[in-house]
Parts: sequence; C-alpha cells; structure tokens
Amino acid sequence: MEEKKKIKKPRGKARLIPGKCIACGARCQSSCPKDAIEMTEDCEPVISIEECIGCLKCIKVCPADAIEIYFTPEEQRILDEIKARSRAVAEPEAEVLSDKEAAALAKIKQYKGVWVFIEQTEGEPALVAWELLGAGAELARTLNVELCSVVIGNKVEELCRESFAYGVTRSYLMDAPVFRFYRTEPYCQAICYLVEKYKPEIVLVGATGLGRDLAGAVATKLETGLTADCTGLAIDDKGFLLQTRPAFGGNIMATILTENTRPQMSTVRPRVMSLPVRDASLRGEIVRESMPLKEDDFTTKVLEIIKDSKLDAVDVAAADVIVSGGRGMCARENFSILQELADELGGVVGCSRSVVEAGWMPVERQVGQTGKTVRPKLYIACGISGAIQHLVGMQDSDVIIAINQDRQAPIFEVASYGIVGDVLKVVPVITRRISELRAQRIKPKENRQPITKNAGDRKGRKHID
Amino acid sequence: MLVVVCIKQVPDTTQVKIDPVTGNLIREGVPFIMNPFDTHALEEGLRLKGKYGLNVAVISMGPPNTEITLRKALALGVDNAVLLSDRAFGGADTLATSKVLAEATRQLAQKEEVVIVLCGKQTIDGDTAQVGPGIATRLGYSQLTLVEHIENIDLQAKKIIARRKLEGRDEVVEASLPAMISVVREINTPRYPTVPMRLMAEGATVTLWDNKEMKLNEETIGLKGSATQVRKIFSPERAVGEILGDGAANPDEAANLLIDKLSEGGLILI
Amino acid sequence: MTNSILFLTIFLISISFFGWSCFRYFRLITLGKAENRFDHLGKRIRDLFLYSFAQRCSISGSYRFGVNHAILFWCFMILLVANTEFLLAGIFPDYINLANLPTGLYYTIALIFDIASLLALLAVLTAAGRRLFFPPKYIEARTRDAFFILGMVAVLMLAFFGLHSSEIAQGSERAALYMPISSFVASSILPGASTESLISLANISWWIHAIVLLCFLNYLPYSKHMHILTVIPNSFFKRLTRMSLQPREEFNKGNVFGVGQVDQFTWKALFDSYCCTECGRCSDVCPATSTNKPLNPRLVIHDIKENLLTNGPMLINKEQAKLPLIGGGQDGSIDEEVIWECTTCGACMEVCPAFIEHVPRITDMRRDLVEMKARFPQELLNFFENMEQRSNPWGIAPAERTKWAAKINVQPFEAGKTECLFFVGCAGAYDARSRHVTLAVTKILDSAGVSWGILGKDEPCCGDSLRRLGNEYVFDRMVKENIEMFKEKGVRKVITQCPHCYHTLKNDYRRYGIELEVVHHTELINNLIKEGRLELTQTRDLGNIAFHDSCYLGRYNNIYEAPRKAIALATNQAPVEMERHHDRSFCCGAGGGRMWMEEKIGKHINVLRIEEAMKENPETICVCCPYCMTMFEDGLKDKGADNRVKVLDLAEIIAKAIK
Ligand SMILES: Cc1cc2nc3c(=O)[nH]c(=O)nc-3n(C[C@H](O)[C@H](O)[C@@H](O)COP(=O)(O)OP(=O)(O)OC[C@H]3O[C@@H](n4cnc5c(N)ncnc54)[C@H](O)[C@@H]3O)c2cc1C
Ligand code: SF4
Ligand code: SF4
Ligand code: SF4
Ligand code: SF4
Repeated sequence: MEEKKKIKKPRGKARLIPGKCIACGARCQSSCPKDAIEMTEDCEPVISIEECIGCLKCIKVCPADAIEIYFTPEEQRILDEIKARSRAVAEPEAEVLSDKEAAALAKIKQYKGVWVFIEQTEGEPALVAWELLGAGAELARTLNVELCSVVIGNKVEELCRESFAYGVTRSYLMDAPVFRFYRTEPYCQAICYLVEKYKPEIVLVGATGLGRDLAGAVATKLETGLTADCTGLAIDDKGFLLQTRPAFGGNIMATILTENTRPQMSTVRPRVMSLPVRDASLRGEIVRESMPLKEDDFTTKVLEIIKDSKLDAVDVAAADVIVSGGRGMCARENFSILQELADELGGVVGCSRSVVEAGWMPVERQVGQTGKTVRPKLYIACGISGAIQHLVGMQDSDVIIAINQDRQAPIFEVASYGIVGDVLKVVPVITRRISELRAQRIKPKENRQPITKNAGDRKGRKHID
Repeated sequence: MLVVVCIKQVPDTTQVKIDPVTGNLIREGVPFIMNPFDTHALEEGLRLKGKYGLNVAVISMGPPNTEITLRKALALGVDNAVLLSDRAFGGADTLATSKVLAEATRQLAQKEEVVIVLCGKQTIDGDTAQVGPGIATRLGYSQLTLVEHIENIDLQAKKIIARRKLEGRDEVVEASLPAMISVVREINTPRYPTVPMRLMAEGATVTLWDNKEMKLNEETIGLKGSATQVRKIFSPERAVGEILGDGAANPDEAANLLIDKLSEGGLILI
Repeated sequence: MTNSILFLTIFLISISFFGWSCFRYFRLITLGKAENRFDHLGKRIRDLFLYSFAQRCSISGSYRFGVNHAILFWCFMILLVANTEFLLAGIFPDYINLANLPTGLYYTIALIFDIASLLALLAVLTAAGRRLFFPPKYIEARTRDAFFILGMVAVLMLAFFGLHSSEIAQGSERAALYMPISSFVASSILPGASTESLISLANISWWIHAIVLLCFLNYLPYSKHMHILTVIPNSFFKRLTRMSLQPREEFNKGNVFGVGQVDQFTWKALFDSYCCTECGRCSDVCPATSTNKPLNPRLVIHDIKENLLTNGPMLINKEQAKLPLIGGGQDGSIDEEVIWECTTCGACMEVCPAFIEHVPRITDMRRDLVEMKARFPQELLNFFENMEQRSNPWGIAPAERTKWAAKINVQPFEAGKTECLFFVGCAGAYDARSRHVTLAVTKILDSAGVSWGILGKDEPCCGDSLRRLGNEYVFDRMVKENIEMFKEKGVRKVITQCPHCYHTLKNDYRRYGIELEVVHHTELINNLIKEGRLELTQTRDLGNIAFHDSCYLGRYNNIYEAPRKAIALATNQAPVEMERHHDRSFCCGAGGGRMWMEEKIGKHINVLRIEEAMKENPETICVCCPYCMTMFEDGLKDKGADNRVKVLDLAEIIAKAIK
C-alpha cells in the first residue's frame, strides 16, 4: 500500500499541435508558471520538455486548442503500471478556489441586470440601440433579470419611453445640457456613476463610432472586460456572457468571456441583431439620475456637425456596401440600376477600370490595382469578370456577391454567393424585392426613426453656438 | 514637446487563409507588418513634426521581433523608438495593453512633455479599437477617436481642433492638450522611406523596456491583468462560390435566394 | 607670303578657338562617374569599323535617307583629307602641295576629290530638299541649324570648284584631265575670262573656302553636328550587349543612389548626350511619344546635354548646380512624369544611329526619385509595399500560389528528382487568365516528357518591375534572398513563361553571382519540336494569327524566330506580321513597371497597338507574355472587338495542337 502511494501519477508534458497556433499574443507563454515556453520568430510556442511540469495552464489558456498533453514513453509506462495495480478510479482533481478567486466570485454576484445604452445624436436614436434591446431581452430572459436602458442626453426623455416599447422595464435617464452633444468625458462619467450605483452584470453598446469611443473609455475606468464588435451573444451554463466576434480580419471567430470582473461589456455590430417588434402599449419606470457636472468642467467642445458632407464626393473606400459595375453593364445608362440597388442598401456605386475607360463612371469610383482598395461588409459585383487587377482591390470584402453571365468568370472564385445570369435582369429584381419586403413591414420601418427631424436640417453644414 | 505614436506589429491578416480541410489558419509565409492603421498614425506624427517642430517617439508592445517594425518607423524619420517587451506583457487584452502603453507614455513624459498620443483607429488582428480610448482614459488625456483631419493645434493655448468621421456625419471638435488621437485611414497617405534613411535605421538603436524598467504590478498586465478571456476560436462559416438558383432562366428565384442569404447573415435589413 | 602669314594668323586663332571649345565641352565629360568602356577591345574595334565606317546604322532599316547620310559621311571622310591638305598648304605653300606627289597617285587623288565634292554637293541638296519637302515629324527639329550647316557645306564645295576650275582655265592644273567636274565648269562657264579675273576668282574661292572651312570647324561644337566629332568614338564605346543592363548599386551609408544631378551620371551617359544627331528616330518609335505623352527620348538626351552645359562649369568649380536635372520645368530639366512614362521597351535604343542609351538614363533618374526622394506615382506605393512584404505585386497570399494546380498533379522542385524548375511567375500563378497559360505550359512539358517541378508557395517574385522602376534597394534585397534559396534548392535550369522573369533571372541575376540556365517557353517549345519530342497535329481553328513581339523577348533577348516557327508548325501557316514587328515591334505598354501605373495622359498605348493589329484582320493574336496578354485583352475590350478576336499565348496554341 505504501509503495503504491509513492508512485506519483505522471502529469504528462505539453506540446504544440502543428498548424493550430494562431499567434494570439503569447497567452501560453505568459501563463506558464515554469517559464517552459519560448516563442519563435513566428510567434508560436516552443515548449521545453525538461521544464514543463504538465500543469495544463497553457492548455487552458490557449484559445486555439493548439496545445495538448502527451506522455513520454517513460511516463506511459508508469501510467500503465498504476492502472494495472489499482484499477482505482482516478480521483477527480477538485477545483479548489483560492481566497482571491472566492472574493472575486462573491463580488460579481452583486451585479444584476442587462443594460443597453441608447445611442442618440441630437435626440435621434441610432437604430442599433433597438436591435440591442432585442438581443438584451433575450439575455435577460435567460438570466431571469431585468432589461434596462440607459439614456443620456439633453431633452431625450422620449427615448426612455420608446425603449419601453421594446421590452425595457426600467430606464435610467441622465438629462442635462452638458449631455447635449456626445463627448467622451461627461458620458463616460455618467455611465460609470450609474454602473457603480446600480451594478448591472451586462452592458451592451452599439459598435458605432460613438459607441466604441464610449465603451472603450468606460471599460477602462471600470477596469472591466470589453469585447468588441460582437456578432453573437449567449449565456453559458455558469451564467457567463458568451461573446462571439470575428477577429484576424474575419478569418476566425472567437468566443470571449469576462470571468472575474463586472459588468461584462460588449459592443455589438449594427445590423447583426434583428430589430425586435415594437409594442407601444408596454410601460416601464424611468429612473432620473443627475450628476453635479458643469460645462466648465469639460474642455472638449463640439464646434460643428457636418452631415452628408460627402454627398457629391462619394467615398468608395469608406463605404460599407458597394454595388459595383463592370463592362457587363453594357452602357452608361444602366448604372442607374446599380444606383437604385445601392440606395436601397445604403451603399454606393463603384466600378471596374474598363468602365472608367469607357467613360461611364468617374475615376474616383474605380476599385482595384490602380484605383481604390475597398473592404466593405458587402460587395456586389455586377457584370465584372474579376480580372486580377480588380480582385486585388476588393477581395477582402466580408461578403462578395457576383452577378455575371459567364459561369467561368474568375469573379466567382472569390464570391461568397453568385448568380449566373444577366445583370440587367437580375439586379432590378433584387432591388424591387427588397423594397417590396420592406414595404410589407411598414410599421417597424416607421419605428426606425421615432423622432424624425426636419429633413432640411440634416443636410449641409450646421453651426452650433 | 513630444508626440508618442503607438504602433502594433500584426500578422498580415489579408494573407492569412483558412485550410479548407482542417479549418486551421495557414500562417506560413505570412509576414508580420506594421498595423496598416498605425502607418497613418505614424505619418500624422511625422507631419506634426514637420509642421510644429515636435519630436516623435514610437512605442510598441510586443515580442522581441517587433524591433523590425520599429526600425521601419525609424527609417521614416521618428526620433526615438521604444520596444516594450516582456514575458509578463504577453497575452494581454486591451485593458492590460493600454496599461502598459499608458505607463510607457507616462515615463516618456517625465523626460519630455507629451502633447499628443497617436493611435491607429484599430488593428487588423484584434480589431477592437479599444486601446486608444484605454490609453486616453488611463492618462486623463482628451480622447479624440476616428480623426480624419487635424485642423489646428495651438501649442501655446494647449488646444487642438480635429475633425472626426462618424457614421453619416463629421464632427469638428475642440479639445485641450494633451490628447489621444486615433486616426482613420483617410487622414493621410503614408510616406515611403528613402534609402539613406533605411541605412541609417539599420544601425540606429531601439530602446528596450521590460517590466524591470517599467515596474508594473504583474497582476495588472499581460494575461493576468486581462479582464477578457478568449474561450474558443473557430473558423467562420464562409460560403465560397455558392451559385444561387438559375439566374438566367429564373431571375426572380435567384434574387429571392440571395435576399434570404443576405438577411440571414445580417447584411441587409428587411 | 603675306597671304600665308595672314592665313596662318587666322588659322591659329580659329584653331585655338576650336580647341578651346572642344576642351570646354569635353572637360565636362570628366564630371561623370567612372564606367569601363575599354573592355573587349577587339570587339569594340570591330564595332567601330562596322558601325562608323561601314555606316551600318544609317543604311539599315527603313530609313530612306540613310543612304544619303552614308554618302555624305564618306565624302566627308575623303574631303577631310583634302581639307587638311588645303589648310596645311595654305600655311606652308612651299612645302606641302599634292601636286608634288608622284603623277599617278596625284591624278587618282584629284579624281577622287573632284567626284567626292560633287557627290557631297548633291547629298547636301538632297538633304535640304528632304527637310523642305519631307520634314521630320517633330516640330522642334532645328531646321535653321541644319540649313546653315548644309549651306556651309554647299559653299565649301562651290568654292572648291571655283578654285579648281579657275586654275584649270588658267592652265596651271596638270591634273585637269582627271578632274572632270572642275574641267566641265572651267570649259562651260569660264572660257574667255581674263587671266586676272581668273586669278582673282581663284583667290576669292580660296579665301572663301578657307574662311568657311574654319567657320564650319568652329561652329560644329555648338550645333547638333557635334555628332560629327563624337559618334565615331561612341561606336567604339557602344554597349556590347543588346540592351544595356543597369549596373548594381552598393548600399553603404553615405552613398548616393540614382542620378538626381547631372554629375552623378557616368561619363558615358554624358558623352552620349553629345552624340545625338537629333534625327528623331527614337521619338518616332517611342510608344509614349507616339501616344502624345510628354516623354520624348530625344528630348531626354537633349535635356541632359543642356543641363550639363549649364551646370557643368559650376560643378567643375565645385559650385552648386543651379538648374535641377529633374523637375526644373524648363529646357535642360526633365519632368518627373516624363521619367515615369517610359515602358523601357528599348525601341529608342534599337533605332538610335548614335548608340545612345536612353533607358538606363531614365532608370537612373527613377532610382533617384525612389531611393533618394521617395517620390513616385501614388499607385506605386501599394506595389512597392506588396513586393517588399509579400513578394508579389498584388499582395496575394502565398497559399494561393498553387491554386492553378488544384486539378493537376504537380511535383515540387527537388534537385536530383526534377531537372528543371518551372518558374511560374506571379502572373502565371495569380492571374486567372494567365493560369490557363500556365496549365498549357505544363501540358506541353508533360507531353514532351520534360522533368520539371515548381517552388509552389515558396516561389518569390523575380523583382523585374522593382528594378525597372528604380527601386534597386528592395530589388537588391529580394534577389539576394532568392539566390540564396535557388542555391539551397540546387536550381540550375529554369523554365519561365514570362519574358520579364526570363530577362531578370537570366541577365540581371547573373550580376549577383548566379548563372542560371534560363529558357523562355517559346524557345523551349521550338527546341522540343525540333528534337521531335512534341508531336503536333495542326490546328486550323485559330484563323489568321497575328504575332506580337514582346520587348523583353525580342529586343532584349533576340528571340524572334522561335515563336514564329512554332506557330507555323502548329497551324501550318506562318503568322501574319503587323506593320511593326521584330526589332521594330511596338510595345504593349506594360513594361518598365507601367503595368502598375495608371496611364493618365494621351491615348493608351495598348489601344494603339491593337489598332495596328486589327489592320491585319486577325482572328487570333498570339502573345508570349502575361503582361502583353492583359494589355491586348483590355485593348480589344476597349475597341469592342473582344468577341471577334482572341488573344492566346503561344503555349495555348501549341497545347491545342498536341496530339
Ligand atoms: C481572437 C482574439 C479576440 C480578441 N478579442 C478581444 C476583445 O474582444 N476585447 C479585448 O479587450 N481584447 C481582445 N483581444 C486581445 C486584443 O486583440 C489584443 O491582444 C490587444 O492587446 C490589443 O487590442 P487590438 O489589437 O484590438 O488593438 P486596437 O484597440 O484595435 O488598437 C488601436 C490602436 O492602439 C495601438 N495599439 C494596440 N496594441 C498595441 C501594442 N501592442 N503596442 C503599441 N500600440 C498598440 C495602435 O495604435 C492601434 O492602432 C483578442 C485577441 C484575440 C486573439
Ligand atoms: S503545461 Fe504548464 S508547465 Fe508545461 S508548458 Fe504548459 S504551462 Fe508550462
Ligand atoms: S496560446 Fe495557443 S494560439 Fe496563443 S500563442 Fe500559444 S499556442 Fe499559439
Ligand atoms: S524605352 Fe521605349 S518608352 Fe522608353 S523612351 Fe525608349 S522608346 Fe520610349
Ligand atoms: S537620341 Fe539617337 S535616335 Fe534619338 S534623336 Fe538622338 S541620335 Fe536620333
């Protein structure tokens, strides 16, 4: 019996599975208690067998499951021996929590509720806020907690009520003149104040320019985790928020957790979560909060807001949706078909070089080797053959749609979806179908802009005093 | 007065492909480059140097081979390059990254007044756009993200006016210095190094700061200081080359199929 | 006696002035950097005779007036002897006189001089007539200068006849019978003139002849006819390879890279600028000039000369140059855009009768712009970054290099197992159109039983465009790495399907210490057919095939016949020649890195070439280069002819004909 106990169960050694490492930034190396890991020039680990004690830390931390445990022949022999001798059930290694971890756990238990930040500019809400309420409601239901909205601005109480229509039961409102225009400092202070006071477990913010600016500051102030640009949210069995997001230029998806700090913060891409159904009959409670903030406390000032400034100078390189035409469009007039589709999708019209050559489009719209390099979320190539000179300018787009008569055209090699057919017939059908479908859902469409401002206001430069 | 430019060395993710069989990333032969957004931040720093006579320092947190990227910055004309590299910095998320970068800036500021910290809008590997705001918040600097044009800097009055590019609108904002500015690509066109500058940079020194130098609490940096944990990585479903319907015979059907795909993927809102 | 003293004085003054002019000019050449043009003496001396004395350049080709130039040249050489005698006799009348020679010899010489003078007169008249009735295309042709010189030569000849005919009429010329033209003048115009008037006519003629001759001498260095003094030596200094290869640069601290100031050229480059005859042939054939772009090779050479003349004296005195070589916006300074427009097609060098090397000058200046100033067309930024960081012009992932081979079985290159490396090239690997050519090449290789392998994702770019665009620094680094790899893998024989890879690997890499046995697929195919390793049936469905010579295959590497023979064998008909073909072929517009730049000014070069091709009514255009392929296909699309005419690579034509 004594002898048996002497044999220590070997823990094995860690080794890299070739091809799996994504060079995440040396998580394995920094997790190793024995400094057994060195990184190569390619930022992959080299594990020293001599040093490794098989503690599994690197394996747990590796996001790519690139490290595995194995047993040296010597260890294997001992293992077999143990097995043969006792056939005893391997005693499960109980996960013992350190004091620190236990304290952290206790702390995070205090946080409850799902919050959604309602982004607005001059009282006009961003669509993504309502989308987030849909996703937030789902999470709140799973966790069995309350869905709250956070509204910050000047004379924006209306937005609290609007959020009730999407299932919010409590809305925190900070309404004061300092909040009239978004500025990082006052907004950040306001949210931090609310979070510290009411302790939500999840805070969702739209991954817009404004949202990312704010969330980055807030998470740092609160020293908590923030997951950027999520495309998927879920709750795991321990009640943690599973945040899924693309990384590495969209080549991989990562599921990210914030285990030890609260709140769990995410920014979420617009147009990813679907817009929930609005129910105007729903009601909730408005919690009015205020802080003793004075305009003089802040040195940042918004001098001017310029809307639609690029109205005539279309910037293809910065567009999220590009509908591009090639020689297959046959004539200059046919580009109006593309413009209609682009308008429907909120995008711009681009083109290939030969279209510029033919004089159908100005050179600023040219995508490719000697034109612009674009990376939109959606690129629709209409009547473009896909010569390499064009491909290099657009092949990193998130989703590429090719519409071309010639099945052999190289554009189909990079396309996510293709339609083989006549662009002049297919494109108008797509445009028509989209607008028909949207017309059918006229109600939610109204909801998109609950507070519609005078259209005249939105164009041109507007001075603020 | 000093401008600090934060640059990150990243794998060129446009070169990364996914093995269709194993689903692994094919990283072989993929070069490490200066994060493309940071090349614009660097360029802006060099322009400020030309215009206002400021000194420019670049800092980068990363593995030792980041030195190559820092030499590129030296070849473009920065005055000082600091590499922040230590085992303890590894595996950092944005919270831990901004901690190290903010501390490095603070230490630089002890020798020379820092007026501006420049960052790229985001990186092409992490893609978070959170490090810039993190640095600004930690240092208490004004935060100007998504800047597409610096309209004016008044070093006397310590004011900056910049134009920010947001969805569907631009904002002209005034803020006090020091400020953290993250730039979008439209802000400028980066320069190309001359050969004499490259030869100079080959022999120039890149300062190395490890944590012995920086003296940060190891619990607040690297993997230990990170609030987020990457639980799992998987390859995205990417439809490549799926032909929808028969567009020639039945354009309506093909169009419908396409619209379905697009709305499923959240690309269009119906 | 007084006469000869007076003449001696005039002679000494003018000869010193001439000497001073020459000294002033040729001293400036010493500003240039060293370059060895005294190697291979035997070959150089042969060239001197072949090209100068045999006037090979003038006569060759389609230049109608070249014969005229040859006649003028030869008369000039003969009369050079006559005039030397004339001048010496003027100074030492008592000692030097041809008439003192033995009779037979004297008569022969007299006859030759007499006839040469007439021929020269006629040639001058022809030249003048040509300038009047068929003026050169370029407007700036210095016609006044030309007429002045022609006038002087004519006056000289007339004075010659004046002198000799008056002597004959006086009866003081014993060789009269052997001077038919002078005698004719004497007998038809002068009979009956008094002895006095004859003597004064002789005197006047003599003085006119003397003065005009000395004027001519002194005017020479200041006119385009300076070439009379320089071209003969230049035929000795001329390049010994078909196209000159750009020298390497040493990347040490403190060095200057490229040419941004005139004294950074080599002496040969400076000497070249003195050789231009302003014949305008280079501009005629230049694709850039022909499509109304600001680049004109003649003016580039002219501007170098003007710049040297303006800045040279200051530089000799170690003062600052005042006229910038690049971008000064005036005569003697070359615009940046001019420098970027060259396709390095080499047509200018091919036709230049003065052996001037234009292309290296342009690349020298590109090097200055890229390496010293980092100034270049904005499209190139992406290109340079892609080449440096991703070793291909488009920045596509290395994993995609083997995509073309997805459906076939391809061996990796391994010394010992595979004999030849098939260097696919970036276009061949990435460009969807060129991938078809790549597959055609592999089909040919396999069917001929060639043992070949590829480098796959490890294949780098050869670096051609970098070198042509003047980014020698990055090229240098790439080549060194590539050579390292070639050596490591034991690569010796290389097959390329791109003339640019071919030229670079074969000729440029040699300077980096690797001798590769490189064949272009056109050569290889032709050899395989000759050796009977390829069995062809004749395809007939390609119709009329027009053949386009690539610059880097033809002019650069003298491969003209191999592809033509292969086409003839595969289709049973010789290819149709376009108006400009072989060494006079007209560039497609993509060489010299132009492939990566937008063509913003003037007509597109590829369209011009397509229009030329369309005149032959081809059904197929055969090319041998992936860049030509792109340019021709694009050109056809622009002309809306892409459904009527197909562009095929030679390999595709042969692959179709394989049994
Ligand atoms: C798959 C995956 C997913 C991830 N997701 C998250 C996440 O959701 N949330 C999170 O907090 N972290 C995340 N991380 C970690 C994070 O990506 C980086 O490791 C973090 O260190 C920097 O963030 P970033 O690259 O996104 O920088 P960004 O915030 O996008 O960078 C903005 C700018 O900051 C500067 N900068 C950034 N990093 C450095 C540096 N090392 N040195 C100098 N300057 C720098 C540059 O100027 C840069 O342009 C993830 C990592 C992986 C592998
Ligand atoms: S198993 Fe533990 S000791 Fe071994 S390499 Fe991984 S972290 Fe280090
Ligand atoms: S943790 Fe995994 S992915 Fe990250 S470096 Fe280590 S092995 Fe690679
Ligand atoms: S090489 Fe060709 S393009 Fe360049 S100058 Fe000469 S003829 Fe013109
Ligand atoms: S460079 Fe040569 S071809 Fe051109 S004009 Fe002068 S002599 Fe003639």
